[in-house]
Amino acid sequence: MVEKKLAGISLLYYPALILIAAMIQGFFRYSWRININGFSRKAEADLRERVFSHLQKLPLSYFQHHKTGDLMSRLTIDIQAVRELLGFGSLASVDAMITIVFSLACMIAIDPWLTLWSMLAMPMITITVRFFGRHIFRWSHSVQEQLSDISAYVQENLAGMRVVQVYAQEDNQIAGFRKISSDCMRKNMWLATLWGIFWPLMRVVSGIAATIVLWLGGRQVLQGTMSLGEFVAFNGYLGMLTWPLMAIGYVVNQYQRGTAALSRIGEVLDAEPSPRYNGAAAGEFNLLAGRTIDFRDLTFSYGPGNGPALKNITLEIPAGTVCAIVGETGSGKSTLVNLLLRLYEPADKTIFIDGIDINRLPAPALTEAIGYVSQDIFLFSGTIRDNILFGMNTADMAAIEKASSMAQLLPAVQEFTGKFETIIGERGVRLSGGQKQRTALARAIIKNPPILVLDDAFSSVDAETEEKILTQLRQFMAGRTTLLISHRIATVRDADIIVYLRHGEIIERGRHQELLARRGAYYELYRRQQLVRQVENLDRLDGPL
Amino acid sequence: MSQDIHSEDEILGKAYDARLMRRILRYLRPYWKLLAVALGFLFLHTGTELLRPYLTKIAIDRYIATGDVAGLDFMVLLYLGTVLGGFIFLFIQTYTTEYAGQRAMHDLRMQIFSHLQRQDLAYFDRNPVGRLMTRTVNDVETLNELFSTGVVGLLGDAFIIFGIAGAMLWLDWKLALIALAAFPVIIYVSRFYRRRARDVYRESRLILARLNAGLQETIAGVATVQAFGQENKMYDRFQDINCGYRNVLLRSVRYNAVFFPIIEIFSALSIGLVLWYGGGLIGFNSLQPGVIVAFIQYLQRMYQPIRDLAEKYNIMQAAMASSERIFNTLDTPATIHNPATPKAPKALRGWVEFKDVWLSYNAGEPVLKGISFTAHPGERIALVGATGGGKTSIISALCRFYDIDCGAILVDGVDVRHWDKQLLRRQLGLVLQDVFLFSGDIANNITLRDERISEARMLEAARRAQIAPFIERLPGGYQEEVQERGSTLSQGQRQLLSFARALAFDPRILILDEATSSVDTETESLIQAALQELLKERTAIIVAHRLSTIKNADRILVIHKGEIWEQGDHEELLARGGLYARLYDLQYRVQEREGAVAEPAAIT
Repeated sequence: MVEKKLAGISLLYYPALILIAAMIQGFFRYSWRININGFSRKAEADLRERVFSHLQKLPLSYFQHHKTGDLMSRLTIDIQAVRELLGFGSLASVDAMITIVFSLACMIAIDPWLTLWSMLAMPMITITVRFFGRHIFRWSHSVQEQLSDISAYVQENLAGMRVVQVYAQEDNQIAGFRKISSDCMRKNMWLATLWGIFWPLMRVVSGIAATIVLWLGGRQVLQGTMSLGEFVAFNGYLGMLTWPLMAIGYVVNQYQRGTAALSRIGEVLDAEPSPRYNGAAAGEFNLLAGRTIDFRDLTFSYGPGNGPALKNITLEIPAGTVCAIVGETGSGKSTLVNLLLRLYEPADKTIFIDGIDINRLPAPALTEAIGYVSQDIFLFSGTIRDNILFGMNTADMAAIEKASSMAQLLPAVQEFTGKFETIIGERGVRLSGGQKQRTALARAIIKNPPILVLDDAFSSVDAETEEKILTQLRQFMAGRTTLLISHRIATVRDADIIVYLRHGEIIERGRHQELLARRGAYYELYRRQQLVRQVENLDRLDGPL
Repeated sequence: MSQDIHSEDEILGKAYDARLMRRILRYLRPYWKLLAVALGFLFLHTGTELLRPYLTKIAIDRYIATGDVAGLDFMVLLYLGTVLGGFIFLFIQTYTTEYAGQRAMHDLRMQIFSHLQRQDLAYFDRNPVGRLMTRTVNDVETLNELFSTGVVGLLGDAFIIFGIAGAMLWLDWKLALIALAAFPVIIYVSRFYRRRARDVYRESRLILARLNAGLQETIAGVATVQAFGQENKMYDRFQDINCGYRNVLLRSVRYNAVFFPIIEIFSALSIGLVLWYGGGLIGFNSLQPGVIVAFIQYLQRMYQPIRDLAEKYNIMQAAMASSERIFNTLDTPATIHNPATPKAPKALRGWVEFKDVWLSYNAGEPVLKGISFTAHPGERIALVGATGGGKTSIISALCRFYDIDCGAILVDGVDVRHWDKQLLRRQLGLVLQDVFLFSGDIANNITLRDERISEARMLEAARRAQIAPFIERLPGGYQEEVQERGSTLSQGQRQLLSFARALAFDPRILILDEATSSVDTETESLIQAALQELLKERTAIIVAHRLSTIKNADRILVIHKGEIWEQGDHEELLARGGLYARLYDLQYRVQEREGAVAEPAAIT
């Protein structure tokens, strides 16, 4: 590009050539930037989508072994690292390759020997990149780990703040934090030192090449074996090599990070999806007809190390009846529901709906048939309306109002300025516990499901509201099969059958009056709750001391 | 309020806010010497960068042109010197900058963490752990980039640009003006690009926040999604955001794809202009060829900072947003203050007195309504009553987790508000129902790494808490690591461990929130024995669930609806036939019959 004789005749010819060459180069750079970077962004989005859709179908047990934070970092930081490799990484390699090949070709055309000499320093780049790449990678890993240690320490400190403060351990905790924070600082400094040597060293390499050219090339010009123009041009090409040579180092680093990230993402994608998604096509089954639920000798444990959560449960709930389950915390009530919904996998031929083994049912058929209110309500950020409509594709306002009125949610909603469009915040933070439960109830009711499963659905609702909900709900429950889990006798007393679970086994079953007459565990629960009610109703009139 | 908190993570802020910047820079002030060194070496490094094209010029014009080999060799040596010197200067500059930045970050992290330690418990009810962790870790990390690449990097860029412009003007001012002719256009293009890049960046940050929130929500709510069979709907919703994010970024790809080649073209244009004009001058022998070589090298170097501009701008913007969030956290004052001049009692005896104490967490909803009682040194007081009656609030007020509305709480004759907070809490050993275990080994969980507790005292505490035989059977003994989710220790053993913790700290006044969970009979008898050790020679205030604890108390206070309803010992209260008698009937008679802790029903 640069003229051989600077004092040439056509002064405009060569500068114009430079400009044209630069424009051609610019056009190519533009198009491969658009293509490669665009491709990397699209690939990133596709990858994220694929991981997301896979993640949704993993069994619940997977999420108990993998913390949300860990999964989040795979979905964000790791995917980003892969994108950088695909985008900047490949862009820089292509760019570097083309520039290196082109410049070298021109340099060799001017003077092969000088090219060879100037490239003497180049192996240093490979050595530097390999050496530093490895160590930088190791130290950045260790800095990352230190950062998660800091996170863990802060998390623990905040979670245990009551203990920290009451044992006056604040200073002690601060001292502990100072230690890991200084460790972090020290490790960061090691990393900074490595980077601090690495980048300048790359410049040294190109600087040495420039020195060699100045020294040998300068002599050649002196001896007249090279023109001054050639010498200048040679210097120009050498200058063009600086950036690609540094880029190589960067790409190597990104390659290491990107492949490590890819393998972590691969681990998520390799996890086996929940078997509930293996069932037959949805059309084959119509659960909207009958509704008999049948547990046959169901035994279940959450893992090989854990004892059985349910033992030999045999229970038939005829269509259209209400079955209530009572029992202490940890007695297996929620497990029963989790299995009915196939959130965990029951053994084959243990749970049947209308005589069909639920393990043979496709997930959509099962979830469509069941309206479910879970014990710990999960609401999504968005409006109340969105949340009520969560299980639905469409519904008109009348249906929403009807469902929320049945759930006794309507009065509360009407007090909100935004009515049903009120945004409830992350996990519904702007609603009270009772309001959350009632929203979840409306969410289940509006589906108009043949089977209703209420897992401790009224725990945050006061007794009076619960009574109102139950009165409304009774009409709704008519003709549906209901599985009702509760601590309160008042909630379950009208059920067609009441089952008392203890340590995963059914110890009593029958109607309210029958169970009372047995004077067993149910009776004890009943008596205690009666007293609780008496105590709660005590008023000042009875007089303290 | 929650709305404010929610939107806090979406603060984008300006790219430059003088008020915030001044406050950020204050953290660098203690390291001004380091920074001065860094600045000096930055200057030196820029000097070597500026010198190299000049040396090339001298070599060409003065020695190569005149055939002076010795002079050329000398120039080559000098050139090599600038290369090596540049390396050393750059390294020292990077290192010192990074060191000052890391120190400042460490200070900031410490300040946030210490600040959090001084907050009252109500603060932690309002601020979720995750958010505070983001402040302490991620937001500080973002500032790191500002310290290391932002501030010094921008200065370095300014040095280079002005230095090169100056050098060129000095070498040949006419040629320099020609070379810089494209510069105003470049500044204009850069500003145009920067504005676009900023908009895209802001938009992408907002969408990214939503994308991450959506991801987090789906992972946390996966059970609900599966139970309602809404995987496809969630997928569609996610895809929407994901595509939106992708499209915003594709726009930024387009801007970059246009901007960078344009800069290259302008760089080539400048070089072309220099060749054209300079070439003409050489033709008239009024310019030495070395000048043109130097100009070309200068121009190549000059365009690099312009290319990095957008990236630095984004770093600044992210850092401003983070620092604003950090300062918001730091500016929240603690509501429970340590007294400026704490009073200490004459003697530590363990005397507790409540005088007409009222407490409310929310204004207008008192949870304690005129509680008055006295616990004499060595006395055991049991608090019983229904959940929500105010037993826990009495404990919280005594430990000064919350400040009371009116009345007074005296410990050894001094109002708790006049005590030094830490000193007060040292007198009060609180043993909580849900035993919190820290990661680390068993010994650390007894001593809480408090160096005042000797190993002998720790072992003695474990022995008296009846947990020593169990610990000694563990493969690691006292050095056995405690698992986060506590699988090393059973529920009962965790309680014993918390007893050992209290024994090791040996408080004058013991506050015990008895656990309600049922344990097997063997563990229960260990707990009883440990409890006897724990209560020895101490004033004790116990939220009691075990009948034996209640019966052994010197006095029982029946707390109901924020008031003391009845008091007396077990026999007296039973004889009265009031609330206690009913509670007893309800809950404790079962224990008496079964000889174990009853299942906690609605009453605990």
